[in-house]
Amino acid sequence: MLARLRSLVGSLAQRRTFEADLDEELGAHIEQYTRDLIGSGMSPEDAHRQARLELGGLNTVKDECREARGLGAFDAFQRECRYAARQLRRSPGFAGTVVLTLALSIGANTAIFSLVNTLLLEALPYAQPERIGTLYARTSGLESAEARRTVDGEQWEHVRDEVSSVVPAVATTGTSGANIRAGSVVRYVRAGRVSARYFDVLALHPVVGRTFAPDEDVPNGPNVAMLSHALWQNMLGGRTDVVGQSVMLKGEPYTVVGVLPEGATTPLEADVYTALQPNRDGDGRAANFRLVMRLRDGATWQQADAELHRALSASSRFQNFARENPGTQLNYHAVPLQQAATDTLRPQVLALMIAAGLIVLIACANIAGLSLVRMLRRTREITIRLALGASRWQIQRQLWVEHLLLAAAGGMVGLGVGALALRGLLQLLPERFLPVATVTLDGRVLGFTLLLSLMTCVLSGVLPAVAMGGVSLRSSAPGRGVIGGGHIRLRQMLIGGEVALTVVLLAAAGLLVRTLIGLQTMPPGFNPAGVITAKVSLDDVRYHDPGAFRRLLTESLSAMSRIPGVQSAAVALTLPYERAVFNGVKLGSGKEAGRTISTNHVYVTPRYFETMQIAVLEGRVFTDADGPDDQPVTIVNRSFARKFFGEESPVGRYLDDKVLIVGIVADTVLSAEGRLNPGTAPLTREEMVYVPAAQVTDSKMLALAHGFFQPSWIVRTAAPAGVPAQMQRVLSNADPQLAMSGVFEMSDLMALALARQRVAVALLAVMSALALLLSAVGIFALVASVVAQRTREIGILMALGSTVPQTMVRVGRAGVITSGVGLLLGLILCAVVLPAMRSVLYGVGVYDLPTMLAVVLTLVAVTLLATTPILRIARIDPVKALREE
Amino acid sequence: MTRSRIDADKPASLLPGTLDMLILKAVSLAPLHGYGVLLRIRQISGNALDIPQGSLYPALHRLDHQGLIATEWGQSENNRRAKYYTLTAAGRRRLRDEAAGWTRLATAIDAAMRATSEEV
Repeated sequence: MLARLRSLVGSLAQRRTFEADLDEELGAHIEQYTRDLIGSGMSPEDAHRQARLELGGLNTVKDECREARGLGAFDAFQRECRYAARQLRRSPGFAGTVVLTLALSIGANTAIFSLVNTLLLEALPYAQPERIGTLYARTSGLESAEARRTVDGEQWEHVRDEVSSVVPAVATTGTSGANIRAGSVVRYVRAGRVSARYFDVLALHPVVGRTFAPDEDVPNGPNVAMLSHALWQNMLGGRTDVVGQSVMLKGEPYTVVGVLPEGATTPLEADVYTALQPNRDGDGRAANFRLVMRLRDGATWQQADAELHRALSASSRFQNFARENPGTQLNYHAVPLQQAATDTLRPQVLALMIAAGLIVLIACANIAGLSLVRMLRRTREITIRLALGASRWQIQRQLWVEHLLLAAAGGMVGLGVGALALRGLLQLLPERFLPVATVTLDGRVLGFTLLLSLMTCVLSGVLPAVAMGGVSLRSSAPGRGVIGGGHIRLRQMLIGGEVALTVVLLAAAGLLVRTLIGLQTMPPGFNPAGVITAKVSLDDVRYHDPGAFRRLLTESLSAMSRIPGVQSAAVALTLPYERAVFNGVKLGSGKEAGRTISTNHVYVTPRYFETMQIAVLEGRVFTDADGPDDQPVTIVNRSFARKFFGEESPVGRYLDDKVLIVGIVADTVLSAEGRLNPGTAPLTREEMVYVPAAQVTDSKMLALAHGFFQPSWIVRTAAPAGVPAQMQRVLSNADPQLAMSGVFEMSDLMALALARQRVAVALLAVMSALALLLSAVGIFALVASVVAQRTREIGILMALGSTVPQTMVRVGRAGVITSGVGLLLGLILCAVVLPAMRSVLYGVGVYDLPTMLAVVLTLVAVTLLATTPILRIARIDPVKALREE
Repeated sequence: MTRSRIDADKPASLLPGTLDMLILKAVSLAPLHGYGVLLRIRQISGNALDIPQGSLYPALHRLDHQGLIATEWGQSENNRRAKYYTLTAAGRRRLRDEAAGWTRLATAIDAAMRATSEEV
């Protein structure tokens, strides 16, 4: 078997050599035999003739030799291909339409699949990634499914000490901005804290030095740091003696213990890692640690799940939850890190993949319809070939070869389209959109495209093949008006199905567009034009001192407002379109007096509202007179006032028993990214409590807030040129050890907040446009072929007195009915499919009337456009049509 | 007159299915080119067997395809480039099997044909 395959591949690969060898071998045979015949007394001419005669027909022998090598089938296939190519060249319109249709649909699929491939299929860049897991909790009996993926310090201790089937490690939930200084170089970096064994779990081994030791990963342990390869290279010049060196991080000296390998990344994506040194409470008494674990040899995930659940349910956090939520069940279990890393993107990407799949179905239906017509036009050719003795299989084979050629061409062009689409797509995506690596057209994508092309070949070829089976010697009267009546109904069904799928895609895209428009046109609550911001990390021991913190703000702001062109300047812990600190506050009066509620907090400097142009609805803004020793004051936003004070004014009331509410301001838009409840929109307007930065006098509070958030310096200017550089200079003058993360225009930050939504909408919109185009082509081709096939019938009708408009209606009906039925079917499908989208729609219902109306109107317009071939009826000459009859 | 040499020997027509076996046998004695195979079979059969020349090359390619013989290019007696066939290990096994089968068959047929009326 193996020998045969090798022989076949060999002769295929060296076909030219094979043929030359065969010629030479047979030539030598004839020559030698001729010589022997001459030797036995024959004349040279006779000998030569005799030698050739005895060998038999040279071509027959060669063919038999090829057949012996298994080449025969290939030769036949090649002939079929050449014949099919000639046939297709003769109908360039058909071939072109099919190849283009395939290229577009296959291209869309290739591009989307590349994303799926990278996001969902490609393994994480760690050894044995299937043995790495992270923690999830499943709640049952709870109204909203709350995802608990984090643990606090106490829970971590339980896992670390009681779970033996995995090697566990823990890290902070994300990175925070920090300043690092080595010598005179200051950088703004992303810092993350990880426990000992974190890098062991990920199987990342430092290129220089070592990872954190267990005795370093304890509260109040030594300040040790590991650097990313990139930071080591561009800040420390890649010097190998870096281990043991000291760098200033967050205002304190840290000893570098190791450097990660080049290109190595962790789920944290930090530039600098420090030892987690977890305390029992977790950071800020919350669950702010995320577990990663590697399954030990011989252990199973079932074991790990059981052990994890047992360990975690011993924690007070778990017991509090059980106490507060009677009747609910919380189950901890491990999920693959791969799955967790792509969790938020998976539904979106899969939805896009489904949309792309629908496009292929639509394309195949179209191609099937087109080749059905082609088949009918070729009825004569087929019957003649049948009459001449061609077998049905031979004719079928030729049809399949044609489809195969078309699919191959479509697939190849589609690959190019896909590569282009992918390039555009990647440019559209915001930076750090993808949690892992880069998206490329790798072998798996190529394989997918190949399979897809083959699938389109089969899908689009089955119907014509069946139709051809129906062609018999007796159907040799082509051109009769009645022919193909059944086939037209078949095509109507195909196109109706197409239209139905298109309706679903259009409606889905429409709903997403409406959602996006809703989010984008949400009044921001401030005026972003002319606002420039710069983030600076104050996660620095020096600024745990409230006095130093206040001095920095006062000095930098007074210098900043002196920059030419700057109208006003302020600092805020967080900006609109970002997340804010979620903190507890006790209501002093109003409907829920005495209750402590969790709400958004932000500290701002006095001119913040002026700088951002946030409307003051009642009372006053903060002034410089609201100092650390003065009456504690606060400003709430309108939502807060409405929610907790209703109709009465909160101004003059107290929060936390002693903090006086002095004003109410307009709501601003906040980011809801990362919120526990998955059903929330990415942008929200929520309650907010503003406090004067000068009155944040608790150094623990400062340390905690700046450990998670980096305050923004904000200026409003009419002339932005040169301002960013000046802001940088002012900050460096105020403190040479501070680095900015970058300078942004507020409007850019706002655009970034919706980048992911915009990409999804753009992709789905492009795909529904594609589907609409394909459906239009389908209807157009249907009507056109009905007109062409019924020319005689129409001629008779008109000779009998039908007017042109009457006839047009008669013929156009085919297209309109098809489209109408498709529309109806599509709307029914929508009712079934669209509810699945509910979680990504905000402010728009699933059965949104304007969207549905728009879909219907679009389809009606496209249908009318696609029925234009009926205009040809006006040019039919009844006399001529009758004469031909 | 043209077929005098061959007519004189009155070669027997080949039994169906024996061509491959004969080629394997011929090649097992020494590496041969196509025409050489023809001559060798004629020679070792005492000029009794003549192979239809048209079937020789397809058979050679078939055996090569099956991995029973191997080919290499060499010089022929008259200094021409020629394709030489040699027996492979698989070919040797096949030849042994076919020869054994043939002997059994021939012996049986021979015994059957020698039967006399007394033996029946």
